[in-house]
Amino acid sequence: ENSPAPLPERAIYGFALFLGSWFGFILYLIWAYVPETWLFSLGLTYWPQKYWAVALPAYLLVAVGIGYILLFGINMMSTAPLNSTHTITDNYAKKQQQKKFQEEAIPALRDIPISEVNRMFFLPEK
Amino acid sequence: AMEERPYRSASGAPIALRRRQHSASCRELAVRCPRLQLRSLSAVTSAVWLAAYGLFAISENSMVLSAAIFTTLIGFIIYLHFVKVDQESLLVIGSLGIQVTSSYASGKESTTFIEMGRVKDVVINEAIHMQKVIYYLCILLQDPGDPQGISEVVPLFQSSKPRLDCLIEVYKSCQEILEQRKTAPQSS
Repeated sequence: ENSPAPLPERAIYGFALFLGSWFGFILYLIWAYVPETWLFSLGLTYWPQKYWAVALPAYLLVAVGIGYILLFGINMMSTAPLNSTHTITDNYAKKQQQKKFQEEAIPALRDIPISEVNRMFFLPEK
Repeated sequence: AMEERPYRSASGAPIALRRRQHSASCRELAVRCPRLQLRSLSAVTSAVWLAAYGLFAISENSMVLSAAIFTTLIGFIIYLHFVKVDQESLLVIGSLGIQVTSSYASGKESTTFIEMGRVKDVVINEAIHMQKVIYYLCILLQDPGDPQGISEVVPLFQSSKPRLDCLIEVYKSCQEILEQRKTAPQSS
């Protein structure tokens, strides 16, 4: 049901978006470049100031630049500090149930405690 | 018995691990941090004084120069007393507990003692720290009432940041002492 294949509805949506974006672009160019007196003579007196035709793109670009730094900072803030238990375990690991051991079967997937992992890695078995 | 071996810190600076066996169930592991480099000290001092001289040239106020000298002196004393760690040591006493000591360059020593009832295990953990994944040794603490859960994590050797080979040596030494807990009968 959720395949990315082309459908007639999707073609219509795409064409409507295509026409809409061209229309929006031509409208933006008219707003930015056509002199105010000409617009007034046509009766279009209540359009926003032309100042915003330059200000909005500038705001958008600065927001994108700040967004890079903000995302980086949010990632650093969300990283668990070295003294937090979240580096060792979490709710799912604490509540996991022990499955019964079956002979000749692959053991069930589980979160192995860090003490056991350490012993396996760093203490040589004789 | 005492032995000292050279290792490297995470940033490549030379550190040394000293192991002392006081008795069968008592061991002391001390990591000596990289020394304060003369060239970084001179670089910072020259930078601050050059900046102050630049400010003096602009403002013609000689107080800037004396303020810069004062700031570098006070800043250096604060750095030696609160920031620059000279040695971090771990004293593991089998039936008693674990003592963590940090000795600063000014001579100050700060110690923390954790009783053995609260210690669950000493493990090498991996975690993300400032765009890197590092190995660090930490003590896992348990609640006396809940021996299965981990209540707190105490990271060790935060200033000297030894690499994995040094951490494995410290881990093996600690585990030898901690294993005696299971074999020796506890009196509660």
